[in-house]
Amino acid sequence: MRVEVLIAGRGGQGILLLGHILGAAIAKYTDLHVLGSEIYAAETRGGDSRVDLVVADREEEADFIKVAKADIALFMHQLQLDAYRDLVRDGATVFLDKSNITNIPQRNWRIYLEPYTDIAEREIGSSRVANIVALGHLVKITSIVTPEAIEKVIEEIVSREWIDLNIKAFRYFLVR
Amino acid sequence: MRYEYLTGNIAIAEASIVSGLKFYAGYPITPTSDIFEHLARELPKYGGHVIQFEDEIASINAVVGASWACAKAMTATSGPGFSLMLEALSLAVITETPLVVAYVMRTGPSTGVPTRSGQYDVLQSTYGFHGGLVIPVLAPSTPQEAYDLTVKAFNISEKLRTPVVLLSDAVVAHTYGKVAIRERSEVEIVDRSKPSTPLSEYRPYDPVDGLVPPMACFGEGYSVLVESLTHDERGYYAPRSDAQRKLMWRLYRKITESSGKLFDYSSLYLDDCDVALVSYGSTALSTQVAAKTLRERGVRACSLKLKTLFPIYEEGISKLLKNVEKVFVVENNVGLYYRELRGILKDRDVVSVPLIDLDVPLPQEVVGVVDKWL
Repeated sequence: MRVEVLIAGRGGQGILLLGHILGAAIAKYTDLHVLGSEIYAAETRGGDSRVDLVVADREEEADFIKVAKADIALFMHQLQLDAYRDLVRDGATVFLDKSNITNIPQRNWRIYLEPYTDIAEREIGSSRVANIVALGHLVKITSIVTPEAIEKVIEEIVSREWIDLNIKAFRYFLVR
Repeated sequence: MRYEYLTGNIAIAEASIVSGLKFYAGYPITPTSDIFEHLARELPKYGGHVIQFEDEIASINAVVGASWACAKAMTATSGPGFSLMLEALSLAVITETPLVVAYVMRTGPSTGVPTRSGQYDVLQSTYGFHGGLVIPVLAPSTPQEAYDLTVKAFNISEKLRTPVVLLSDAVVAHTYGKVAIRERSEVEIVDRSKPSTPLSEYRPYDPVDGLVPPMACFGEGYSVLVESLTHDERGYYAPRSDAQRKLMWRLYRKITESSGKLFDYSSLYLDDCDVALVSYGSTALSTQVAAKTLRERGVRACSLKLKTLFPIYEEGISKLLKNVEKVFVVENNVGLYYRELRGILKDRDVVSVPLIDLDVPLPQEVVGVVDKWL
């Protein structure tokens, strides 16, 4: 098994935190191997943020740090969907933040279109956890890692005052 | 043992702690500063010291001094900083001082593109200092290798009483990966051998029955001479050809004759291979995938990733590639390590694949160049 995961959005949307939580959960709490990279624009908000993960059950298959053709992709913004859509393979499972994406390319993808940012704002109480709402959806649909593993990592790396909010955001799709 | 999700840089910092690091001195420089920052937080918990000096020259000299006080010592830097450290590295070579330099390469020359990657300093890492000898150089390509090779670097430095360069690059520095973190009891740790002679008979540069002298540290009662001039076994200045000859050959042989023991590599499909892609560091990630891609297309390709770059184990590398028709040396520079390998593989067709990329070269780029030669 070898899966390439691409997560992309604009600076300020929590892309790197999302990617780190997912990568750490896989590395620490599963038998899977993972290599990954992060890129982000120098400006605090607005530029490209992108996390690539290569996940495999054999160490020698987790062999590169960038996706060639993503099997799982999550786009939190139209700009990055437009920029990186060719890095997503046919048949891929793709999650799109409907709050920030209106123009969906005609591709042979299995698309999950949900307003993660609006859900975070209205249902959870802060648009800042839109990334974790989306992560919950990705974990529910792909089962790439258990929800328990993600929650453990959230508790380990998120500041104490924000843990409950993030757990609530993460569970939004999982309990549905 | 436990698993963590770490970058190459943090893996180096964690491994240095398990290796017994007690003293880190450094000056911040991209892309190494998070090694420094991590150790500043963590090392004091293990009884170690972390100090920022005024520059890289002071840092490496402090590391030399700390090692003579029996502390396992390390610094980390990048191209411009390593250039400043070269004089003191030469001092460490002649005084046979165990220490580790984590050298995280970035794009050069000079300030180049400070935040981006390259492998331009592969020859400088071992040949840069004056005096014409060899410093062992190890090159990781993943966070796990960064962890494992850091432990190995400390062990080599202690066993052979030599500086060792851990040659990483900006890509490995920032690559995240699953890393098996081992407890001290789960790792083989080598400590320098200590003199067993009576205090009055100790000769600090007498290798006794091998090539590496037992090392007494300051404060242990022995008379310790740290001599940068050509010296005899007592450590006394000896400006004579016979003394220079004896010292040079011993310092040279203790490293080069260990090349087989220090050699470390990994490979894919080497047993069934016509076309070998040889690489090291982050570029080796690209060549591994490129080898797989070529095989899918019916080319009998393989990859050989060298984790020990110096001293070069000529016999071993030649033997590994003995059945190969063509060897491609893939690196992110103008083809520097190729110059080392073509001398060893004289009877083979050796081709340089010099890629210049600010990031990790993509596998298709490697395949594209190799294709032109097939």
